[in-house]
Amino acid sequence: MSRSLKKPPFVHYKLQLRVDTAQQSGKKAVIKTWSRASMITPDFVGLTIAVHNGNKFIPVYVTENMVGHKLGEFSPTRNFRGHAGNKKDKGKR
Amino acid sequence: MKIEETFYLGYTSKVHGKNGELVVKLDVDQPNAYKKLESVFIRINKMDNQLVPFFVTKTTLQNNNTVVIKLDGVEEVDEAKNLVAKEVYLPLSMLPPLKGNKFYFHEVVGFTVEDLQKGSLGIINQVLDYPHQAVLEIISPDNKEILIPVSDDFIVEVNREKQLIKTNAPEGLIDIYLE
Repeated sequence: MSRSLKKPPFVHYKLQLRVDTAQQSGKKAVIKTWSRASMITPDFVGLTIAVHNGNKFIPVYVTENMVGHKLGEFSPTRNFRGHAGNKKDKGKR
Repeated sequence: MKIEETFYLGYTSKVHGKNGELVVKLDVDQPNAYKKLESVFIRINKMDNQLVPFFVTKTTLQNNNTVVIKLDGVEEVDEAKNLVAKEVYLPLSMLPPLKGNKFYFHEVVGFTVEDLQKGSLGIINQVLDYPHQAVLEIISPDNKEILIPVSDDFIVEVNREKQLIKTNAPEGLIDIYLE
């Protein structure tokens, strides 16, 4: 069942506080978080969030097309990364 | 040809039509670069690294990252069915060289990474190709793992001659891994 529209998107209050501070100060320092369930809101764009995957922090540089997704979606918890050794046509975007 | 000298183009997903054509699902960034294929290498057996070359007589690029190919010597549906669900490769020499700060993920493995603030960080072990963004996995001299997202904002310079990548990682990112 989807989240009630009466409620705003879930963002952990400590994370929101750090994002607000970072945006107000203009410093783009990395924010560490364990809150994988927090939703990415437009004020996250341009920040780098280090999202814990249970083992280590994965840096996520937030872009506009990530808004509406949850932070955990960008920090995989499993190791399989495809046959990366053979995917040589993948250029830098 | 050895599999190390090739790159993964995609896989054959199904038979197309009645003349033994095959649909290849491409796994590349720019499908338009593969409108005209002269030959492909197919890995018949997943258990070994043997690649079998096939001449391509006809190529039709479709919209959804797929290309329909007609292989020389494969004229019937039954013959084509034997080649379904196989990996398709092309020689590395077919990749167009990239310039400037663009790079193929395989070519930067082994490059040294130098940060504008922190200095030399270590050597790139691999590029993690996560769904929404790639991440450089760097192994520092004291064997610690440092992750930096691949983004134009963070990659300052790619020097292929010196095998060096200069980065401008956001404040505090490298400290997380070196703590």
